[in-house]
Amino acid sequence: MNGPPQPPPLQAPARAAAHVPLLSAEHLVRTLPGDPPVTLVADADLVIEPGKFTAIVGPSGCGKSSLLYLLALIDRPTGGRLLLEGQDVTPLSGDERAKLRLERFGFVFQFHFLLPEFDALENVMIPMRRLGRLSLAAAEARALELLGFMGLADKAHKSPDKLSGGERQRVAVARALANDPALVLGDEPTGNLDSVNSARVVDLFRQLAHEQGRAVVCVTHDPAIAEVADVRVTMLDGRVIEVKQQG
Amino acid sequence: MAGRLGLLLHIAAKHLLVRRRQTMVAVSGVAVGVGFFLAVSALMVGSQSDFVKTLIDAAPHIIVSDELRSPQPQPGRRVYGEGAVALRGYKVRNEVRGIKDWQRILREVDAIPGAIGSPSLSGAVTLRLGGREEALGIVGIDPAIEARVTTIGDKLRSGRLIDLERTQGGIIVSEELAQRLGLSMGDIVSATSARGASRSLRIVALFKKGQAQLGAGQGYMLLREAQSLLGRPFVINRIGVKLADPYQADAVAKRIEARHAYKAESWQERSADFLGLLLTRNVIMYTVVSAILLVASFGIYTAVSNSVADKRRDIAILRSIGFSQGDLQLIFVMEGLALAVIGVIAGWLLGFALMAVLGSLEFPIRGEIQHIPLDRSSRQYLIAAAASLTAGIVAAWLPARKSARVDPVDILRGAV
Repeated sequence: MNGPPQPPPLQAPARAAAHVPLLSAEHLVRTLPGDPPVTLVADADLVIEPGKFTAIVGPSGCGKSSLLYLLALIDRPTGGRLLLEGQDVTPLSGDERAKLRLERFGFVFQFHFLLPEFDALENVMIPMRRLGRLSLAAAEARALELLGFMGLADKAHKSPDKLSGGERQRVAVARALANDPALVLGDEPTGNLDSVNSARVVDLFRQLAHEQGRAVVCVTHDPAIAEVADVRVTMLDGRVIEVKQQG
Repeated sequence: MAGRLGLLLHIAAKHLLVRRRQTMVAVSGVAVGVGFFLAVSALMVGSQSDFVKTLIDAAPHIIVSDELRSPQPQPGRRVYGEGAVALRGYKVRNEVRGIKDWQRILREVDAIPGAIGSPSLSGAVTLRLGGREEALGIVGIDPAIEARVTTIGDKLRSGRLIDLERTQGGIIVSEELAQRLGLSMGDIVSATSARGASRSLRIVALFKKGQAQLGAGQGYMLLREAQSLLGRPFVINRIGVKLADPYQADAVAKRIEARHAYKAESWQERSADFLGLLLTRNVIMYTVVSAILLVASFGIYTAVSNSVADKRRDIAILRSIGFSQGDLQLIFVMEGLALAVIGVIAGWLLGFALMAVLGSLEFPIRGEIQHIPLDRSSRQYLIAAAASLTAGIVAAWLPARKSARVDPVDILRGAV
């Protein structure tokens, strides 16, 4: 510690100059143990970029949700690697992955998945309170702002069972945005909504990507989402068979 | 960190509030366990310390007597200890028994802070009244000192200990003996010692009946009058010692015995049989009471276990948001701990109320109103709380571990 000051490096590491995607999957494999083993995801390669809205489509059981859980660090791959901003996150411990999910990722599921004992505002505040960067008052202000952005300012103190399906899903989106995530992931986020609410959520997702510069990844059956996405990833039998840049 | 714990506690509290009935049942279990623990242990500890107090205070904490633990060896053996000595048909000189140099022992005892020694002489006399005779062990005491060493002064039905000083030839005997001889206060009775000396004594006070420690066959006189009646002037054969802390008696007794060779018996040594009984009693009590607390913790186990099972979906949501496995376990341990804490507080109130009821009961014993001796020290409250909280944490931790095994992927995939 008390040695002479180190001379500055002659040149910055070469990699810093190169373009690093937000999230990239390299040969991701996920199999379930069994005889014979069940392959959910086989050798998937995928790059997720900020500011882009990516839709993952394919028939039921093609492994798109399994791929999403791998990308979301909720599930662990049995093979391949996953890089977050160039850093391999595959070997991280459960707690380290949980911390990354809390700080960098936000999730929206097909079913709203709000905590039933907490009202809308409290649900949105939970990730902020867990992260603990904001004071309680600041967290509440931000949660109200997010609910306002979702058009739900007047429903802040309603409990989830007093909200309609569309409203609940928008509360879930607000909660996903609570810690200002770089990546928002959706698992059939419109799967349970009528067409009006569906269109609203899709608009919201596009806004998150195009106006707020976040990476948005959605698994969907909904052709309307697949149409408007910037990148359309098609899967079949656990493999990524097509990655198509749209628009 | 405080924010995180606050949030986890908030979630735990919500879980408990949703399941009010189960929460109530678990809390009541702990409360009843703690309440009855307090009541039972107050009874047991209270009666025990009352009993030990009677045991300790009735007689001196240490009795130094003129006996030796092992008889003195014959001088021949002492001198030729290593050689082959055969002694046969020797005559033992009749010594005047008594504690030699007793003033020195007394001075040493009085030098211990808070301790006081009371010298006495005991011997046997025969009481005669009319045609009846009764053997009586008499103890010669100095009433002013003896009153500070033992509680015999409190056990008099009539008269006072100090009356021995005021009356020539005063004696105190038990009510039973007085009844047998047909004596009452102020009556005169003749006493004859083993050496043939005879004297008239006047009853100045009577002991209450039923004092096992004193015995019906014992009487108290002034020390110098006893010495003259027994024909042993200036001799004492017993020193009763009272200490500030009765539980030091064993150690002090050993010290006195080591220095002066006279047998010094502590109250523990004299009452070893009773103390053994008390130990058994305590083992039984704590076994029963631990069982009560253990059963109470089953309620916590069930409550937390059901909570984990019910909240599998919430566990998956929280995990996907970024809560760690440790966070989830902590939530459920907090639920158990909260149940235990509320249960302990309710149990304290219940125990306090039970003690108040027990304490208000009155029992007439030997014509006197007696209350059940209760130990209300805060120690019992702390033991109950510590035991319940520990049992509660363990009972909550066992099912809480299961929350860590919930795989969010399974729940999210098979979403209901």
